[in-house]
Amino acid sequence: MSAERLPSHLTQRIDRSRTIGFTFAGRPYAGFAGDTVGSALYAAGVRIFSRSFKYHRPRGLLCCRGHCPNCLVNVDGIPNVRACTEPLRDGQRVAPQHAWPSVEWDALAVLDRLHFLFPVGFYYKTFIHPRRLWPTYERVLRACAGLGRITFPGELPGDYERAYLFADVAVVGGGAAGMAAALETARAGASVVLVDDQLDLGGRWQFHTCSLGDEEHRGRAGYEVVRDLAAEVVAEGRIQVLGGATAFGLYEDGLLGILEGNRFVKLRVRQTIVATGGFEYPLAFENNDLPGVMLGTAAQRLEALYGVKPGRGAVVVTSDDRGVEVALDLRAAGVTVAALVDAREEADSPGVAALRDGGTTILRGCTALAARGSGRVASVVVGDFDGRRVSDMTCDLVCIATGFEPAAGLVGQAGGKLRVGDDGRLTPGLLPPGVLVAGEVAGVSGLSAILASGRLAGAEAALALSSSGARLSARISELRDELALRRGRADHRPVSALGSSAKRFVCLCEDVTEKDIRQAVDEGFDHIETLKRYTTVTMGPCQGKMCHRLSIDLCASLTGRSVEETGTTTARPPAQPVPLGALASRFTDPWKLTPMHHQHTEAGAELMDMGPWKRPLGYVRRDENPGDGRGRMSAGVDEECRAVHEAVGLIDVSTLGKLEVVGRDAVAFLDWLHPNRFSDLKPGRVRYRIMCDDAGIILDDGVVARLDEERFLLTTATGTIDAVEQWLTWWLAGTRRCAHVVNVTGALAAINVAGPRSRELLAGLTDVDVSAAALPYLSARPGLVAGVPSTILRIGFVGELGFEIHFPADYGEFMWSALVEAGAPLGVRAFGVEAQRVLRLEKQHLIVSQDTDALTTPFGANLGMLVKLEKPDFVGRDALRSGATRPATEQLVGFELDGATAPGEGAAVVENGHPVGRVTSAKWSAWLGRVIGLAWVPAARARDGATFDVRMDGATARARVVMRPSYDPDGVRLRS
Amino acid sequence: MSFLLRCPQCGPRDVYEFRWSGEQSRRPEPGSSLETWTRYLYLRRNEAGSQQEWWYHRAGCQRWFLAVRDTRLNQVSRTFWPSDESPPTEEKTAPSDAEGPRV
Repeated sequence: MSAERLPSHLTQRIDRSRTIGFTFAGRPYAGFAGDTVGSALYAAGVRIFSRSFKYHRPRGLLCCRGHCPNCLVNVDGIPNVRACTEPLRDGQRVAPQHAWPSVEWDALAVLDRLHFLFPVGFYYKTFIHPRRLWPTYERVLRACAGLGRITFPGELPGDYERAYLFADVAVVGGGAAGMAAALETARAGASVVLVDDQLDLGGRWQFHTCSLGDEEHRGRAGYEVVRDLAAEVVAEGRIQVLGGATAFGLYEDGLLGILEGNRFVKLRVRQTIVATGGFEYPLAFENNDLPGVMLGTAAQRLEALYGVKPGRGAVVVTSDDRGVEVALDLRAAGVTVAALVDAREEADSPGVAALRDGGTTILRGCTALAARGSGRVASVVVGDFDGRRVSDMTCDLVCIATGFEPAAGLVGQAGGKLRVGDDGRLTPGLLPPGVLVAGEVAGVSGLSAILASGRLAGAEAALALSSSGARLSARISELRDELALRRGRADHRPVSALGSSAKRFVCLCEDVTEKDIRQAVDEGFDHIETLKRYTTVTMGPCQGKMCHRLSIDLCASLTGRSVEETGTTTARPPAQPVPLGALASRFTDPWKLTPMHHQHTEAGAELMDMGPWKRPLGYVRRDENPGDGRGRMSAGVDEECRAVHEAVGLIDVSTLGKLEVVGRDAVAFLDWLHPNRFSDLKPGRVRYRIMCDDAGIILDDGVVARLDEERFLLTTATGTIDAVEQWLTWWLAGTRRCAHVVNVTGALAAINVAGPRSRELLAGLTDVDVSAAALPYLSARPGLVAGVPSTILRIGFVGELGFEIHFPADYGEFMWSALVEAGAPLGVRAFGVEAQRVLRLEKQHLIVSQDTDALTTPFGANLGMLVKLEKPDFVGRDALRSGATRPATEQLVGFELDGATAPGEGAAVVENGHPVGRVTSAKWSAWLGRVIGLAWVPAARARDGATFDVRMDGATARARVVMRPSYDPDGVRLRS
Repeated sequence: MSFLLRCPQCGPRDVYEFRWSGEQSRRPEPGSSLETWTRYLYLRRNEAGSQQEWWYHRAGCQRWFLAVRDTRLNQVSRTFWPSDESPPTEEKTAPSDAEGPRV
């Protein structure tokens, strides 16, 4: 295996003293510290890394940059990991995906020979008859195609987290331009976050080993220059480097989405410098996807960074001097370069001469026509641009250095437009505000020009941030001159020869060929955006990096339009694939606990979520018999209900929304907001309230206690407090009403004491006279309860005599203990939400938004008597006035059902098999010995004795309408 | 949507701190026709351009304010308290809310 490794060199990042063991497809392998999974496997002789999406063709390393889909593998259970950028770790289990029995011998490779069955858009063409077989076809096709699979059910390994960062400037890209920009900005006093997606800073200059020709760096190689620059960046205190981090989205007002390992970072900045460089992309020729066909920079990376010899005999295909550099690098690594195939007719240089002298054949005006070989490259057919064969060259490596595109995806996302530059490349034209570009993404080439362009962008960003910029302005004009002087040029020219083979791949992610694109254009999908959608070109995991320009060039030539006219597809986030786990990572939504929470859990409470709160659903006593077979919970609920009916129960209602409305205009404001009237409510009295919007729909209910002439306490349902508070403050905003709304939900705890012995319990603890005469139903008194300053409201949601005590939350535990202790001789028992729901149904008390919906007016819900239409204008008055005169079509009614099984919430009320209504609440009441509930039924059935059918588990059950509560219909107990 | 919004009280903050509450519209006079009420309650101008809207700083000072926003560009040109609206109205210009502050 070490035969494939090169001698040490300063550019290499591997540490040969540390061997790392891992497995691939179950077999043991070894690499060095600093390797990636891809480089270690390649060094060990592995050439086939994956099988393609559609045809199951063998694929090997192509870009070595984390862009292309060819090396997607499963690492320790996580699918679709790019082997070429995944750092090698001890004990890693690497598995190929989408191949059986192995990537070397994949049974489904037979699909490659059946390609005529899968033309572009074949989903709509080949497998549609007979219709009834489509589901089968689809299942088989889905099983054959695709990429990695997740194990389901079961959780993927990996724990994602989220971070928020803020800085003056973000620099995306840690290459020469990015580092120069970051240093320039930081030195002007700005805070900078530098985001780089590679393992080390330096970008592709890391593997530049030739001496630079320019005067600034004469005699030094690119890797030396960027290494020094990286040291400066790390030493600069104002720069925070996020290494191995991908900026996948650039959004409005300087927000960047970044994936840094398992951390999802949201970075907010004032200026963004995009210095993402560019990437090479492949060339279309027959079998251009064979393992062994590799981008020039990929071969350079393997050599320079990992000391891996990329092949034995190579052919380099190029259209500019970058190919000459690749050929020289290969030769330096001991690879025999059989030929340099150059698209240019002329162009000579010392490099070309050196290659020729070294025995390399130089073929001009030529390009690759086809690669040949079984599973890997054995030879390449070279020819001219008309497709005429010139020569066959034997080789095991074909390096493609023909296409190079600025990585302008982020700029496009932010709203920047691409234009075809002088050099034929697509470069950002108009930039969105707050976004600057530097280096190769801006169309600049040559190290010194790239550095100048980085410094310029850095100075411009600093100027945009500073208030006085005279010094910076001078610096900027100086840098502009420098850039103009050094700006290099690289030509883009189409280098694909004509060809008609079915296996000229444009999109490697989804196996889209040149033929597919030609066919799609013939079928009328000749606009770049429709072409994209029909063929899925640019829509795979590479996000168009490998195929964007190829597809544009092809579309342009097929339609006879220029590249400019053809245009580009819209760039959207993410620029690189992002695991959903990262986006879904841990939100910090808090939940709320009442002051008595721990007493509930100690008493065995089963908790439920209600809005942000945790509430006891019921209390399960471990020492008790499971009961009648309906489970311990229901047995507990029955007993909790019985305690309330026979003795006294306690329920923690601290979660209720509580608002104080205070001020001279408070009463007028409440009259404005409610259909009820409050102006005649005396201090010390309580009234049930409903609140409607201007359409007359019920929004919320609760009570209003008038504590004082100008002071009211409102309660709301647990989940609606925020919305109600906003509704109130919205109606106040900008008016001159003297009313103030204070949310006291968290400040006050509340306990409802209910049951025939509740008065007895309370009387022993308070100085307030709680007798029926002194504190009648619907009244409120301030006073001390167990020594705690409280407000006692005499109200009842459950149908027994009851008192609601509101008091400062700090005394929650103390008050609860005091009531439990004092209540012990009386048979007190804590009850939860489930028991409360049974008890309120016995009284037919509705719950807004459970028993009502977005069409419910007070009239339909039998609350019409609360609506005071004779009041002057209030919210909802006009709608309620017209509603009052219209006969209701549906009505909310109480019902009873024989048997012990309650229908589910939402069960249909049916008539002749058609749904005509629905059950909104239903519970078994052990006290009444039957199922009771609330349901919406046609108005004609809203009378005592009427019956209706409820659909339950496929059958129907006959329900009886009861217009008055089954328990204590006259409210005698409630008022006692 | 990731833009920054300037709360008149707290300054520029991430838009996720706020609740958007729809374009501002005038509540009909009592006794208005059904059509007028329907238009107010259910129909929106849905301006492609600048419009005045209600915002609430939920994760901040919890106050309502008005913003002039270009709906095509998400550019907010002005934010201000409703009481600074000129001319001040005696009875409140009832704000309409696409969703209504739902409760």
